[in-house]
Amino acid sequence: MSAQEIVFDNVSKFYGDVLGVNRIELRIPPGLTSIVGPNGAGKSTLMNLMCGLIHPDRGEIRVLGIPPRDPERLMRITGYATQFDAAPRWATGFDFVVSSLLLFGYSSSMAERLAWAALEQAGLTDAARRKVNSYSKGMRQRVRLAQALAHDPQVLVLDEPLNGLDPVVRAETIALFRQLAASGRHVVISSHVLQEVDVISDRVVLMANGMIVAEGDIRGVREEIHEHPSQFLIRCRQPARLASLLFERAPVVEARLMEGDGALLVLTRDRGEFTRILTRLASEGLGIDSIVPADENVHALYEYLVGGSA
Amino acid sequence: MTARFRMRQALVIARLELKRVFLARRSLWIYGLAMLPAVLFFVHALQLRYELGRARQGGVVAPGVLESIETGMSEQQVLALAGAPGQDRERTIHRSSRREEGGKEIFESREVRTRRMVYFDGSRRAFLWFEDGRLRSKDVRPVLNFAEDREVYAGVFQYFYLRLAIFFGCLGIFLNLFRGEMMDKTLHFWLLAPARREVLLAGKFLAGWAAASVVFTGGAMLAFAAMLWPHAGAGAEAYWQGAGAMHAARYALAALMGCAGYGSLFLAASLWIRNPIVPAAVLLLWEASSGFLPELLQKLSVLYYLQSLCPVPAPMEADVPTLLKLLLAPAAPLPPWLAVAGLSAFSALVLWAAAAGARRIEINYSTD
Repeated sequence: MSAQEIVFDNVSKFYGDVLGVNRIELRIPPGLTSIVGPNGAGKSTLMNLMCGLIHPDRGEIRVLGIPPRDPERLMRITGYATQFDAAPRWATGFDFVVSSLLLFGYSSSMAERLAWAALEQAGLTDAARRKVNSYSKGMRQRVRLAQALAHDPQVLVLDEPLNGLDPVVRAETIALFRQLAASGRHVVISSHVLQEVDVISDRVVLMANGMIVAEGDIRGVREEIHEHPSQFLIRCRQPARLASLLFERAPVVEARLMEGDGALLVLTRDRGEFTRILTRLASEGLGIDSIVPADENVHALYEYLVGGSA
Repeated sequence: MTARFRMRQALVIARLELKRVFLARRSLWIYGLAMLPAVLFFVHALQLRYELGRARQGGVVAPGVLESIETGMSEQQVLALAGAPGQDRERTIHRSSRREEGGKEIFESREVRTRRMVYFDGSRRAFLWFEDGRLRSKDVRPVLNFAEDREVYAGVFQYFYLRLAIFFGCLGIFLNLFRGEMMDKTLHFWLLAPARREVLLAGKFLAGWAAASVVFTGGAMLAFAAMLWPHAGAGAEAYWQGAGAMHAARYALAALMGCAGYGSLFLAASLWIRNPIVPAAVLLLWEASSGFLPELLQKLSVLYYLQSLCPVPAPMEADVPTLLKLLLAPAAPLPPWLAVAGLSAFSALVLWAAAAGARRIEINYSTD
């Protein structure tokens, strides 16, 4: 198993009779990887397995070569911001981060220095001396992020890290993820809000019902499922005529007129041939204003893959 | 990682956990339980000191004087012997009598002059009752009874602290170390630390032990001090310089070892069994019935070792049924050093089993 990757080798986890994840085969290289799926898809289970909070019933996991049953080594290189919202009642944000750093063997002064740096990265220095249980949801999210970041881990696992963040902080946090990923770290985030990860991820892992339904970069995933029609949104002055011409000349599976806004949604099985013919039609005076691939975001892919259940 | 580093980690965990254990609202009843005997002994001490103060106000006679007063003496003789009494009250009562005369019942009533004098010799009070100038009865009662108070303390320690307070207090403290955090949904913070589960277990056990020991050893020692307080003076000083300090140390040791023994058992139970009431009830039953078991099996009860550490046997009335005597008295107590070693080994063994439970822990808040 590679010491540079996070590897899931045929991993299954059941909660009694309930399926958590099933037969997961996955290799996560450095960079920003998003695990995407609806609630109950198995994203948090996958992350909890990765960090040793739960143990697989079958299969094997290695995080950069370290098994999750060895927290002493694993958590030295891993930071995990879970989705669990509870925090110790006694702790201020600062104490919360410092206390976790003390367990790494840092001296108090070093732990305090690192904690301030992490709280600054998470944009939480102003509220650092307040009790965590007085924080808003977004602040609690950030203090967990600060705790996960504080020891400068090689692997950062973040369960729904953008939940509850306001737009400005969200943009800053995303920039931070990109920066960490660009520095060669493994940044693994989960989300069920598909649009928020498709623009920032190097790779996506799409999950449904405890299984991986697709993985890779977004375009790569799309190509992996080439048998499924590609989707284009075409804006033009004569959408009905264009639809008829496309059915006549191009490998079109379906064309749908979008009422009221002069647009046509087209599905084709042969993307290359379709775009070649469409280019020719554009020169025939149909008044085509724009052609936008409508399925190169995760949401569209996800709908294809799980049959529109997202 | 070196053993030294792991030990430091365990100490850091213990330090952080102590805050949580001490500040937890669910621990409040434990403080009440631990301090209850100290409060009762303190109230008793206050009452004794008040009585002593009152008795001293009337003057103190030499202890031998009380012995020399005998029934039949006249008031003047007693006053000449003992001087003015601390309390003196005279009154006249009417006493009726019945006699038969010539087959008739005759009722008579006559006046009797009574006098009640109270003398105090520093530790005892003598209540003297005179009728028509003669001493009819003498009742000497100790205000302070050090031997009795020590016996009462021994009973409170064995029956209340060991069998009740430490048992249920440790149940509350140690079950919460893991299960309480599971309920608060904060256990994952510990599991995500770069520490072995055994180190986490050791840290949490140390925190629980420190908290329980401070509460219960502190409570027992406060009660001991409150028991000694009214006897401050020659009696208590002699006791303290003789066996007293050693008695206090052994009570403290028994409380410490009780917290370790019961603590390790409840910690292990919280890691292996979901419903803590079941193991608590089984353990309570086992501990209570260990007197009936063969000696070898008795050694598997925490109480056996703790009773061996107690310096004074718990008082037991002569008319206590044999069956109950079996329950309350340990068979052939061990020497203290062996009791400490045995209980330490027992706790270590239980913690070793608990470590296996700690390695199995999974975070699944929805089902806990």
